[in-house]
Amino acid sequence: MYRTAASRSRALKGRAGSRVLTRCASSSAVASKTSSGGFLSWLTGGNSSSLPPLDFALKDVALPPSLPDYVEPGRTKITTLQNGVKIATETSANPAASIGLYVDCGSIYETPISFGSTHLLERMAFKSTTNRSHLRIVREVEAIGGNVTAAASREHIGYNYDALKTYVPEMVELLIDSVRNPAFLDWEVNEQLLKVKAEIIESSNNPQHLLLEAIHSAGYSGALGNPLIAPESALNSLNSTILEEFVAENYIAPRMVLAASGVEHEELLKIAEPLLSDLPSVPRPEEPKSIYVGGDYRCQAGTGTTHFALAFEAPGGWLQEKEAMTLTVLQMLMGGGGSFSAGGPGKGMYSRLYLRVLNEYPQVQSFSAFSSIYNGTGLFGIQATTGSDFAAKAIDIAVKELTAVATPGEVDQVQLDRAKQSTKSAILMNLESRMVAAEDIGKQILTYGERKPVEHFLKFVHEVSSKDIASIAQKLISSPLTMASYGDVLYVPSYDTVSNKFHSK
Amino acid sequence: MAIRHLLTLARRSQKPTRSSPLQIFRCLSTSSAAAVATPSSSPSLPSPPSPNFMIYDRLAESVKSKLRTFENPDPRFLIHNSPHPIITDHTPILSSPLTRVTTLPSGLRVATESNLAAKTATVGVWIDAGSRFETEGTSGTAHFLEHMIFKGTEKRSARELEEGIENMGGHLNAYTSREQTTYYAKVMDKDVNQALDILADILQNSKFDERRITRERDVILREMEEVEGQMDEVIFDHLHATAFQHTPLGRTILGPADNIKTISKTDIQEYVSTHYTAPRMVIAASGAVKHEDIVGQVKKLFTKLSTNPTTASQLVAKEPATFTGSEVRIIDDDLPLAHFVVAFNGASWTDPDSIALMVMQSMLGSWSKNAGGGKHMGSELAQRVGINEIAESMMAFNTNYKDTGLFGVYAIAKPDCLDDLAYAIMYEISKLCYRVSEADVTRARNQLKSSLLLHMDGTSPVAEDIGRQLLTYGRRVPLPELFARIDAVDPSTVKRVANRFIFDRDVAISALGPIQGLPDYNWFRRRTYWLRY
Repeated sequence: MYRTAASRSRALKGRAGSRVLTRCASSSAVASKTSSGGFLSWLTGGNSSSLPPLDFALKDVALPPSLPDYVEPGRTKITTLQNGVKIATETSANPAASIGLYVDCGSIYETPISFGSTHLLERMAFKSTTNRSHLRIVREVEAIGGNVTAAASREHIGYNYDALKTYVPEMVELLIDSVRNPAFLDWEVNEQLLKVKAEIIESSNNPQHLLLEAIHSAGYSGALGNPLIAPESALNSLNSTILEEFVAENYIAPRMVLAASGVEHEELLKIAEPLLSDLPSVPRPEEPKSIYVGGDYRCQAGTGTTHFALAFEAPGGWLQEKEAMTLTVLQMLMGGGGSFSAGGPGKGMYSRLYLRVLNEYPQVQSFSAFSSIYNGTGLFGIQATTGSDFAAKAIDIAVKELTAVATPGEVDQVQLDRAKQSTKSAILMNLESRMVAAEDIGKQILTYGERKPVEHFLKFVHEVSSKDIASIAQKLISSPLTMASYGDVLYVPSYDTVSNKFHSK
Repeated sequence: MAIRHLLTLARRSQKPTRSSPLQIFRCLSTSSAAAVATPSSSPSLPSPPSPNFMIYDRLAESVKSKLRTFENPDPRFLIHNSPHPIITDHTPILSSPLTRVTTLPSGLRVATESNLAAKTATVGVWIDAGSRFETEGTSGTAHFLEHMIFKGTEKRSARELEEGIENMGGHLNAYTSREQTTYYAKVMDKDVNQALDILADILQNSKFDERRITRERDVILREMEEVEGQMDEVIFDHLHATAFQHTPLGRTILGPADNIKTISKTDIQEYVSTHYTAPRMVIAASGAVKHEDIVGQVKKLFTKLSTNPTTASQLVAKEPATFTGSEVRIIDDDLPLAHFVVAFNGASWTDPDSIALMVMQSMLGSWSKNAGGGKHMGSELAQRVGINEIAESMMAFNTNYKDTGLFGVYAIAKPDCLDDLAYAIMYEISKLCYRVSEADVTRARNQLKSSLLLHMDGTSPVAEDIGRQLLTYGRRVPLPELFARIDAVDPSTVKRVANRFIFDRDVAISALGPIQGLPDYNWFRRRTYWLRY
């Protein structure tokens, strides 16, 4: 790794001046070496060597010594730069590395003028910067065979680069450049705006997404009520100037974390520090407030099927770890899913909603528990799709299921143990992936200021008792109801009717 | 060129401005045109009366200020990256934990890769059997079996089996392809032995209860409906049916509906006893597993397997797949988009040229409307498709089987651009026989190497890799060797391999949807070679 970096920088020093020329020279040198052949061989490729078939080992391949079976898992190392940027790493034995730059910025920081910026920023990721054109970015990523992705949520934006460990310097440089110095060229912004609009039209085919969005806008007053997928009217006023202002305001040093899985800490620090340390240090503003109020949203579209969601506020959010983990277990416990879905055992066929709802009522097409947890608050509820004539009954069933888990003694130990075990293994299996690991490092540092070991969370899961489940469920349903429905909503009972069913008990 | 012409005109017209009054008009008109066309060079031009007079002046001004930000790139950000692909030595990162393989006396192979620091593990059975080993009358049995195997054994009822897995928070998965069948469990470290016990039980002691079989027919028929709704599945099924017509590889995995309705318990049991034999199975495990423990458990548990020494290759030799140049067209003008695949006969798994085909697949690349690369991707096919907007998405593919393979391009497009798209695809494919640049090959090699390694993210992909490689290559190819083989592919190799598989070869075409505009078969066949160089 170091060797290649050194040889590259030497090549650069030798021919300082025009870098592009140097590259051309070096690659053409390689070309002339490998393809020396006889007359007309360029046509048929006749002089290319033939190797033994793949079931026979190739001779003369130097095999490096294999790794031991036990490689000490790396601890997370964190360095905070002078200006507040945090750089965190974790080593791994995997030949690939995943590096992410996570920013504490999402739709909750938007103002009415900048609605939709987060969504557009996600689409504008890895476009032209002041140092490199979009073309150059695409080619640089292709030259090392990497993958770049960006994902925006209500609270965070993450930019991720996944490639072989050999290319860590390239990855860091491009990643930081595209986050720090975006150019927001008008034509690129307009092109992406068109794509965003097309995406919004398509998303009307995805009622699950739409309902989740509706639950937030109806349930919260304040920041979390901001749309993540902005309406088209808001997009029409967006332009590069608004994006620039939004980025200048929010992409500040103390709100950034560079997180990597599979990279040595010193190596990352050496490359990243000069690129990040001159970001101005602006004190981190307070997170905008959101107040949960509850509410109703309904949208008539099509006939035959009804999609609905019932949700309540889950107090605490990620910052109250015990509640957050109990909520996760509760979600596993209720489970659910589609009435017809592929996959073998292990997808939650013995969760409560599967056993008590999906196996009992063939009219129900899908029925599942969902949760969205944020730093200081969260939502928990049930989302379902049914035939429209069954909608009223399905809402009754959802009410019954939510009140049932809030009744002490209703959840038996077998169910709870199964849910706890599933939660634990789901956490560990997800962390097998280096991309998930990098994201976990980044987001934990943004939320907690540190990376808590996974054992810490597993301990909370382990300690969840049926009493905890009942008490958190009671807290849930004592908050105001948020209700959203989409599709054929004619038969959906009124908000007050449904709300009374919870609060009369 | 036109802009430069305007510029020189403007410059030339500057001098005689004062000499003749007639030319003043011309000067004014040309210089304003030049200012619009080339805003960046306006300082040297005579400026129009007031720079903010016209709206396009103001627009030009704002574009100029935007462009000015590119004039001083920050050298700190331009040290490591280069858009020109180069060959890099990856040796330091290629060491991996040892893959240990033990062959038991029954012929059963056990292969593991340990990562004892992990807390989870994947353990599974990879079987050298799939839908191509069925007979005409019972096609669909392999897939039916995959469903039935979770429906109870002599020791466990289906419910006990499912609850057993769910209680440990594990996943049990199965899939059937044309040549391989897989059952694997993903579990926590402490549950590995129990997972192996369940796998051994379902593979050796499944009951195949008649009532359950009857009930499962409906489930499979419903799955069939789902699959028929997925265009990519349908089109590749048709491609196999036409390319490998009259051979076992041409049949679908699910089998025809009539077979699904009639497959009996005896069919399933016979398939198990003929094909689920010890020498054709590999137990692969990765993650928190110890080789000795797994071998010990397997010895204890997998005792009832048939030891019939017939190998899958012998069966394949008896009924080889032969490629037939042919096509299937299903015209359906009600669909919004046309789907089509054009494929050549490709390489088998063990063919030394299969690696070169992988590099060629990577050279052709893939493109979709929503991909970040847009019009800038390195693949010339992707560029043509992106710039001319002639497809919704496009993907090169390379599938290997025991004795043959398929190499080609799958594309989805609006009905009015099918001819342009077909031309772009055939031109770029046949170009591989004639004109291959060093940079393209290097880029494709780098992308191939990365994608092979980036895919290994977690214990399940590793176990899958071990299982598949042991069945297809009889060994796990060490990464340095794989990389050496990829590096051995240079432009002349690509040309030679393209001459072998593409130059003047028959193609198989499968098309679906509003495809009236798709050129006919002979048009495609003609474009497998050029008459110029």
